[in-house]
Amino acid sequence: MTPFRPMLESLTRQRGVRASLIVSENDGLVVDSSLRFDQDGDRVAALAASMYRKARLSAQAAQLGAVAFLQLDAERGRVCAVGGRSDLVIVVVADPAANVGLIRVELFKALESLE
Amino acid sequence: MIIATVEPWVEAPLRRFVDDARARLALLLHPSGQVVAQAGFTREVDVMTACALAAASHATSGELGKRVEGHAFRSLHYAGPDRQLFLSPIETARGAYICLTVFSAESSLGLVRMYFEELCHDLAAAAPPLPVVRQPAIAADFELDLNRNLAALFGRAPAAT
Repeated sequence: MTPFRPMLESLTRQRGVRASLIVSENDGLVVDSSLRFDQDGDRVAALAASMYRKARLSAQAAQLGAVAFLQLDAERGRVCAVGGRSDLVIVVVADPAANVGLIRVELFKALESLE
Repeated sequence: MIIATVEPWVEAPLRRFVDDARARLALLLHPSGQVVAQAGFTREVDVMTACALAAASHATSGELGKRVEGHAFRSLHYAGPDRQLFLSPIETARGAYICLTVFSAESSLGLVRMYFEELCHDLAAAAPPLPVVRQPAIAADFELDLNRNLAALFGRAPAAT
């Protein structure tokens, strides 16, 4: 068990959260994850890391500064991600009806503990 | 990106893989080192060298895996300062192949691995049944096959069926 596990389990306990992962932004690989059934962690990690990196580079290119919070809303779910100074990104996959405000607060709390 | 194949059924899955994974170079070869398809190479000699090195590297890591873990290591990843490579075998009805993928910071190991799994499924689904049993590569045939495949890839002769 990695030191990230309690933090990930706390995120996954939120209503509507299907998966939470710590992902390496550069490699797109899972560092640790807490997944509900039917979630492909490797796939989520690769795509979320790629999306986060593109968002960060776009914000940088547009001189908007660092990315604070990334949210993707899709028909059957949403992906939220936060990253800090390190290569690590915290990713949450949630139902469309999940409370994003609450998830956002929990993600920032988790990011603080990560740093 | 220019893709050339010796076996036509390989082209569509390889093109999709290269596009999706944002690979800089890709090479599909027999474990013996004979080229089957290439994407992104511009010179014949580079393909020939990459095939020989990829086949040797795959064989070496396989043997090393057997010594260390009791079974062959499946995939090999090397991260250089600018470019990374991913080397992994693919099983199809036509036999085993090796795929060498070179990618840069535009992609990531996670993405390449993810799309590589799709490439494995696509190639397994697209592979026609093997018409004849492939003989082990011997020195006399190897150079002939290699030259024929390189000629097909670089437009000097029709591809083998």
